[in-house]
Amino acid sequence: MDFYFDRSRMQRFLCTILASFSLSIRSPAAVPASTPVVAWPFAAPAKIAPPPVRAADKIRNGLDAFILARLEAKGLSLAPEAAPHTLVRRLYLDLIGLPPTPAEVEAFVQDADPKAWERLVDRLLSDSRYGERWARFWLDLARYADTAGYEGDPDLPHAWRYRDYVIDAFNQDKPYDRFILEQIAGDELEEIMGAGELPEPKPEQTVALTFLRLAPFTEPRGDASRHEMLSEVTATVSSVFLGLTVGCAQCHDHKYERIPTKDFYRMKAFFATVQIPRPLPGDGFQLGGPLSADFFRPGEKEWAAKLTTQRQAEVQAARAALAALEKIEAAGKIANPKVGLTPEQQSQQIDWKTRIHLAQMDITRLQPVAMSLRHSFGPPYEPGVPETHVLTRGEWDKPGEVVEPGFLSCVTGDQTPAVIRLDPFKRWPTRSRRSTLAHWIASKENPLTARVMVNRLWAWHFGRGLVATPSDFGKLSGGPSHPELLDWLARRFHESNWSVKAMHRLILNSATWRQSSQWNDTDSAAIDPENTLLWRYPRRRLEAEAVRDSVLAVSGRLNPESFGLPIFPPLPEGLAESVKWNESKWANQTGPEGRKRSIYIYQQRSLTMPMMQTFDAVVCDASRDRRQHSVTPLQALAMYNGGFVSEEARQFAARLRQQAGNSPEAQIDMAFRIALGRSPAPAEVQRLRSLVESSAPDEGPAALCRVVLNSNEFISLE
Amino acid sequence: MNVPHPAFQPGLFGATRREFLGRIFNGFGALALENLLGRESLRAAEADPLAVRIAHRPRRAKQCIFLFMGGGVSQMDSFEYKPALNEFHGRPIPRVPSISSGELQGRLTFPHACVGSPFRFQRYGRSGRYLSELFPHLARHVDDLAFIHGIQVDNQNHGPATLHVTTGSTFPGSPSVGSWIQYGLGSPNQDLPGYVVIQDPRGAPTNGTAAWTNGFLPAAYQGTLLRPTGTPIVDLARPVGVSATQQRQEFDALAWLNRQHLVNRPDASELEARISAYELAFRMQTAAPELVDLAGEPEHVKSLYGLDNPRTSGFGRQCLLARRLVERGVRYTLLVHGVQIGSHSWDDHGDVKGGMTKHCGEVDLPVAGLLADLKQRGLLEETLVVWSSEMGRTPFVNGKLGDKPGRDHNGHALCMWMAGGNVKGGSTAGETDDFSLRSVGNPIHIRDVHATLLHLMGIDDEHLTWLHAGRVRKLTDIGGQVLEQILG
Repeated sequence: MDFYFDRSRMQRFLCTILASFSLSIRSPAAVPASTPVVAWPFAAPAKIAPPPVRAADKIRNGLDAFILARLEAKGLSLAPEAAPHTLVRRLYLDLIGLPPTPAEVEAFVQDADPKAWERLVDRLLSDSRYGERWARFWLDLARYADTAGYEGDPDLPHAWRYRDYVIDAFNQDKPYDRFILEQIAGDELEEIMGAGELPEPKPEQTVALTFLRLAPFTEPRGDASRHEMLSEVTATVSSVFLGLTVGCAQCHDHKYERIPTKDFYRMKAFFATVQIPRPLPGDGFQLGGPLSADFFRPGEKEWAAKLTTQRQAEVQAARAALAALEKIEAAGKIANPKVGLTPEQQSQQIDWKTRIHLAQMDITRLQPVAMSLRHSFGPPYEPGVPETHVLTRGEWDKPGEVVEPGFLSCVTGDQTPAVIRLDPFKRWPTRSRRSTLAHWIASKENPLTARVMVNRLWAWHFGRGLVATPSDFGKLSGGPSHPELLDWLARRFHESNWSVKAMHRLILNSATWRQSSQWNDTDSAAIDPENTLLWRYPRRRLEAEAVRDSVLAVSGRLNPESFGLPIFPPLPEGLAESVKWNESKWANQTGPEGRKRSIYIYQQRSLTMPMMQTFDAVVCDASRDRRQHSVTPLQALAMYNGGFVSEEARQFAARLRQQAGNSPEAQIDMAFRIALGRSPAPAEVQRLRSLVESSAPDEGPAALCRVVLNSNEFISLE
Repeated sequence: MNVPHPAFQPGLFGATRREFLGRIFNGFGALALENLLGRESLRAAEADPLAVRIAHRPRRAKQCIFLFMGGGVSQMDSFEYKPALNEFHGRPIPRVPSISSGELQGRLTFPHACVGSPFRFQRYGRSGRYLSELFPHLARHVDDLAFIHGIQVDNQNHGPATLHVTTGSTFPGSPSVGSWIQYGLGSPNQDLPGYVVIQDPRGAPTNGTAAWTNGFLPAAYQGTLLRPTGTPIVDLARPVGVSATQQRQEFDALAWLNRQHLVNRPDASELEARISAYELAFRMQTAAPELVDLAGEPEHVKSLYGLDNPRTSGFGRQCLLARRLVERGVRYTLLVHGVQIGSHSWDDHGDVKGGMTKHCGEVDLPVAGLLADLKQRGLLEETLVVWSSEMGRTPFVNGKLGDKPGRDHNGHALCMWMAGGNVKGGSTAGETDDFSLRSVGNPIHIRDVHATLLHLMGIDDEHLTWLHAGRVRKLTDIGGQVLEQILG
């Protein structure tokens, strides 16, 4: 018995369980009683015009018509628009993950231009902080982390370049089809025109391929590991880009979807010629090595060179300091062999050694390479095209039928092998498999791709997708709540040439998104208690990253620097030390470098920052399409007592003193406008003034700041 | 029935899960969860994730203390008497499993000469069970223990095997056993976290926090680390310069502000839950330091746990704290002994004699003290105590047979014991061959142990589910077989 056997058994059984529920599962809402030959979601998105609505004055764009028509059918309507100061705060938090400054709130509230909203949306979409928020959602899907997990949790020194690639992609509105192509087949996109050398992929595309290498990895164990790795890639690519749980078909036909096991291995065959660089000499963990990929963003090369020189100087200085300590020790030994270094000197010694270790990690990270992969170059130097077998019960050593690479038959309708377009001279038979798959996915003909992505965007904007399970469009999803709207959005996505920002505009400029969250309508609540039909804006808690970033923005201490090496905000004492393998990887940055935005925090699979974890942040091991929104007393401890928030509260208080003077009223007013984007009500001023006044001398403003940062309103998307 | 179950009021679990239960499973899931929790307690769970829920099976175990020995305890030097091993000492093991099965994952490059146990075994108690001389104190409780032999884990590296035992999956990211139990049963003491982890004061186990993570369950179900120094819980101390009175004032103002905010905000159970979370946190600030303050414990109790001896005081303190947690109704306590690498790990690749003497000497007395203390306070009956490691070790030598032989990893022969709860003392489940290389008969998998553990806590593993990434997830994955042999 080995581990693969059991994993497959597990999957077999899970799928059986799911299948056993099948009788009680409602057919997807989209499918009418007389099911067409090709059912949702495998039929092409329908060409549908927005439906007519009675209250036409309530709608702002086509999207609203779909939402309102469904509401009207139930006798409901859209809620009134939220107050301008609420809207502007909501927009900032949603789009860039930071609260607006009082001036920004004021500017919008005072702006009489009827196009003021649209202009603000456009401005924030072109703000580089947008990418720093939205890339995080993609990183969850990409199971992004900076360590490999498992035994020893070794560092993945070049993963961060993929994180920056994703931020860039969102900021530049990289067409989504291109985004797909680069991440699945970045090394196979250049056309081969002649019989010359293989064209080198652009560095950016080499970095994009990190996507395929982000799964946790333990140690190479021959064919078993390769099977496991390629199977994970097959399953992840399918769920991220196609919204299908193809991974369930690894051991047996999918019990619920029309995905036979053969299709799993036909999909897997697209990855059969993948070549992972050999581990670097001396890597005890035997992780795959990097590929050369020069820095490509403007200024990046100079930045890396400068920082490398700086770190090398630090190493030298530390070595010199260590040598000096050694000399002292040696000299001391001559005088008295029993006396060594003083405890203080010993701790200095440890400190210098740690600094060398951390600086050297940075030097490695700054090499112009990427955690990437490429296709095999084929014989005579590297493996040719291997046969792909269906593996009986998913066991790597039980090969069955031979299969050719092919697309999912539930989409194409048959199991014809895919046509792999090789170079004109057929010199590289190992090339073009992944690009064939990527082109099929990134095609307007593919019924799933656009639907899945617009649904993800919808889910990130509204807290819930039109399909509630964004990575599973299968039968268990229950189907979309608004099938026509989803199709309409998918077509708009096609028409915009896969512009993600165009989709943001459509959603953010809608009346649906601009509704009030405070609409307390008992009739609506009785008819649609879950607010599935969206008769008001769904209020929810901010994600961990936005909570931390907002605290820093409010205290005025957010380091706005973008991109670069992972950051290491201070951890509670002793924590990094307590999870280390041999040497701690956590550099504990107490200075401004540790106060960059949360997307840059080192993602260590054996250690999630406690404060982030209490707000349901996860260091991903597998692709995640949603976050939890839990409530726990540990959040209260982190937000009130925790070193991070209590320090930022003091900084916030200093900011208030400086900008609002010593009057409690002025301080309260400014605290509310900075942190909550509104002025306090008279009762709030009164209550908080009494807190400020009854606090210890000098403690008043800090007390005020702690209360405001801990308020429900501060961490809510209203 | 397409209408969502009335119990699924908007609340903490988020709409998606309720939708699944109510809409996708058409009442089936709701029924399962209602069976598990009871309708009233289900409602409570919606408003407060840690509210006490009533188990759907009768049970005696209200709390669980899980003793995790990190590194891989040698079963044939502790709880498995294998005289054949001594007969073959220095000679190859007579039966070597086929390499192609991948069972020992390439660990068969050694001469696989047998290493007899250097320790004497003798029978103890009415049950007459053999124990090695390393457990003179635990031996007094042998009739309370139920042993499980030849447990299989699916990977023989420390990281994946540790996760397999602590979370039911060799892959990181799944909820740990304590999180599942929290989710299923809630916690009666809300002044303290319901799931507490006390790790070896010398360092962390392999995988660190991944061993007590909430995984894909809400963060409310995570294990909370009780720290050996500083404040017992992270962020427990008030900010510098803030007095208790000052903090109370601020919390009052905060509660007032949050209540103002509730006005005209319907569907506010999450906001309300956050208001009470601050009150819980406030009480935790007093309860947790009180918990770790051992000054009030009489000297004879302290010496019962070995606090008076530097060798045993580390784990002794962990065990004494575990009893205090149990007294306070904390649902699940994970004690970790051993540090991931180095001499403090049970990973005795070399000198198994020296290693086992050291490790056992550190834990034998404290564990026996814990059992005795729980018993004399009448707590053992309602407390399930579990001893485990992440795997067993090989009967053959690791490397060359020198004068200090050690043993390699063996994922096919993990040995565990349970006591208290509704466990039948003196009973046994599973068996290993004469060399303790593998199990004989029906192999017991770690998921069977997990199913048994949940059963003893009153939970049916098939019904404790969470829909994640398109699949119904459970602690036991494909479902485990409850080990009826060891139930009382």
